[in-house]
Amino acid sequence: MAILLILVPAVFALVCLGLPAPRWRVAAMVVGAWAHLGVVLWSWQGQLEPVSDEFLGIDPLGHLFVTLISGLFAAASLHFLGYHRRALLSQRVFLACMLGLLSALSVVCVSQNLGLLWVALEASTLAAAPLIYFHLGARALEATWKFLLMNSVGIALALLGIFCTALASMGGGADISLSVKELVVHGANLDSAWVRAGFLLAMVGYGTKMGLAPLHSWLPDAHGEAPATISALLSGATLNAAFLAILRAYQVCDAAGLGAFAGRWLIAIGLFSMAVAGVFIVGQRHFKRLLAYSSVEHMGILAVAAGLGSAASYSTMLHVFHNVLYKGSLFFIAGLLGQLYGSYQIADIHGALHRYPVTAFLLLAALFAIVGLPPFGLFYSELGILFAAGRTGNWWVLAAFTLFLCVVFVGMVTAVLPMAFGKPDELTNPPDRTGHVEQWRHAVMATSAALLIAGGLVLASYQPTSVRNALERAAATFAGPQSSSRVAVCAPGEVLP
Amino acid sequence: MLQSAIDSILILVVLLNLAMLATSRMAACIRTFALQSLLLALLPIAVGIRHETTPGAHLYVIAAGAVGLKVFLIPWILLRVLRTGEIHREVEPFIGFTSSVMLGAVIIIASFAFAKRMPLPTEAPTDLVVPVSIATLFNGLLMLVSRVKAITQVLGYLVVENGIFIFGLLLLEQTPVLVELGILLDLFVAVFIMGIVIYHIRREFDHMDTHLLGEPREV
Repeated sequence: MAILLILVPAVFALVCLGLPAPRWRVAAMVVGAWAHLGVVLWSWQGQLEPVSDEFLGIDPLGHLFVTLISGLFAAASLHFLGYHRRALLSQRVFLACMLGLLSALSVVCVSQNLGLLWVALEASTLAAAPLIYFHLGARALEATWKFLLMNSVGIALALLGIFCTALASMGGGADISLSVKELVVHGANLDSAWVRAGFLLAMVGYGTKMGLAPLHSWLPDAHGEAPATISALLSGATLNAAFLAILRAYQVCDAAGLGAFAGRWLIAIGLFSMAVAGVFIVGQRHFKRLLAYSSVEHMGILAVAAGLGSAASYSTMLHVFHNVLYKGSLFFIAGLLGQLYGSYQIADIHGALHRYPVTAFLLLAALFAIVGLPPFGLFYSELGILFAAGRTGNWWVLAAFTLFLCVVFVGMVTAVLPMAFGKPDELTNPPDRTGHVEQWRHAVMATSAALLIAGGLVLASYQPTSVRNALERAAATFAGPQSSSRVAVCAPGEVLP
Repeated sequence: MLQSAIDSILILVVLLNLAMLATSRMAACIRTFALQSLLLALLPIAVGIRHETTPGAHLYVIAAGAVGLKVFLIPWILLRVLRTGEIHREVEPFIGFTSSVMLGAVIIIASFAFAKRMPLPTEAPTDLVVPVSIATLFNGLLMLVSRVKAITQVLGYLVVENGIFIFGLLLLEQTPVLVELGILLDLFVAVFIMGIVIYHIRREFDHMDTHLLGEPREV
C-alpha cells in the first residue's frame, strides 16, 4: 500500500514527461492526482497493519497527513485546470514536478526511517523549486533562489540532527537503526545530551522548511511569486510535511523522557512565529503575501500546540486538518481574484461582492474560517489549544497565544473585508473577459475552493466517529499513548467544558 | 599509522576550509572543495579498515559515490557554470577575506571547545571527528552568508554538507546504504537545479550578485 502511494504519482509524472500534447499532459496530471486520492481512500478500508518494515509503513499519523495532502492535491489539480493559461516555463517539466512533489511528500508521510524521511523532504524541496519559477522574471528568480538555498541549508542542519539522534542510540550497546519505531522502543536508553542536540537541530532545520520565524524569510517570497495553485500546495502540503518531520523528532524525544524539554522550545519558537506573522500581517498590501504570513502564523500555532504535548495533541491534529482545507481554498480564491482583477495588490481589489458575488462569498467564508470564527473547524482547534494551555498551567502561553490570535484576526479582517465590500472601481477595471471559456475556467477555480470550504464546514459541524478516531489515533501516535485527549479537548458537537 | 593518517586528513580538511575562506578566485575555490571532498571520501574506507581488517562493501559504495559526485561531477557542473559567465572573482563580499579567515579560526577554536563538553556515547574513530565536523559546518555557513556570488553560496552549502558527512563517520554502521545514496542523490540534484537557476540569474541580470536581485519591494 505504501509503495503504491509513492509509485502512482511517480508513474504519472513519467507519463507527463512522455506525452506529446500539452492538453493530454494536463489530463495526465489531473488523473494522477485523483488516482492518488483513490489509493489513499482505498487504504482507509479495513485496519492498518502495524508497521513491520524498516523503511516504509503507514502509521496513523502518516496516514492522516497523506490523506490531507492527497485531498489538497486533487483539489489543486482541478484549480490548475482553470488557472493554467500559457506555459512560460516548460509545461512538461512543470506538471512532472507537481506529481513528483506529490510522490516525494507521500514518501515523507509513509517513511518510518528518519534518514529516508530526510531524503524525501529534500526531494520535495527540489521538486518544488521549478514550480515557483513558473512565472519567470527577476522576482520569481529571487524567490526560487531563496527558497532553494534556505531550505537546502536548513534541512542539512536537520540531517545533522538526525545523526545526533542516531548517535544517542549507540550508547546502550543495542544495534539501533534510524527507524522511528526502534528509537521510540529504546527511548529510555538514549543518551539525553545527544537527543537534545538532535531535537534542536531537527527543529531548526525542519522549522526552516515549515516556515517558523525567524527562519521564514523565504516563505512570503515563494508564496507570493509562485502561481496560486502552487502557493496552495506549498502552504497546505509541504509546510505540513515539514511539521510531520518535527513531530517524528518529537516522538523520539518524548520517548526518551525529554518531551517537556522539546515542548518548551516548540512553544517558544511557535509563539515567536505568531508574533512575527502578526507584525507583518497588519498593514500588508499584497494579498498572497498576506496569506503567506497567515501560513507562518498557523505553523506557529501548530508548534505551540505540539509543544503542549498530550494535552493538546488532539487539537493539533484537528488544526492540521482544517488548516490544510481553508488555506488551500484561500490561495485558490486568490488565484481567481488575481485573474479577475489582474493584480494581487489588496488596494486594487475592492467591491468584489458587487461584481463577482460567488467569489466574494467564498472569500468571506474562507476568511472567517482561517481566522478561526465558528462554525469553522479552526475555532474548535484553537479553543482546544487554549484549554490545554490553561489545564497544564501555562498561563503565559495562554495570554500570548490569545493576544497574537487577536492581532492576526484584526490584521486579516481589516485587509480582506474591503476587498469584498466597498464600491467597485470603474476606472481601474481591467478589460472584462467574459468569453465562454473564461467563465468555465473561473467556475472550475471557484468550485475547487468551494469543495474544500464545504468539506471543512461539514466536518466541523458534524464529525463522523471514523474521522474522530483517525484524529485521535494520530494524536496518540506522536504524543504517546498516555494522551488524555478525550478529556482535554472540546470537540465539535460536544458541549464545551 | 592508520590512526595518524585519519587524523592528518581531518586536520587538512580544516585547513582547506580556511583556504576556501581566503580565496577570491572562484575556480580555485571550487578545486579546493574538490580536494577536500576527495580527502573526505577516503575516510569511510580508512575507518572501516581500522575497525575490521576488511571493510564492508557498502563503505566502498559510499566512498565511490562521494568521489564520483563531489570530486568530479559537481565541480564540473560548477566550473561549467562559471565558464559561461564573465565574472570569475568574488568581489566585495559582505565580510572581507582577512576577517572571514579570522572568524573561521575563531569558529574552529569554538568547535573544539564545544566538542570537549559533549562526551560521545560511543567510541569514535578519532577525537577529531566531532570538532572537525562542526568547524567545517560552521565555516560553510560563514561562507554562505558572507559571500554575494551565487556560485560561492552553493560552495558554502556544499561545505556544510561535507561537515555533516564527517559527522556521519561516527554512524557508518548505523546508516543504511539506501539513505546514504539518497543523500548523495539529493545533493547532486540540488546542485544541478542551483546551476540552472544561476544560469537564469545570469541571463536575467548579466551578473551573479544575489544581493542585487529583485526590485525594491515591501516586506
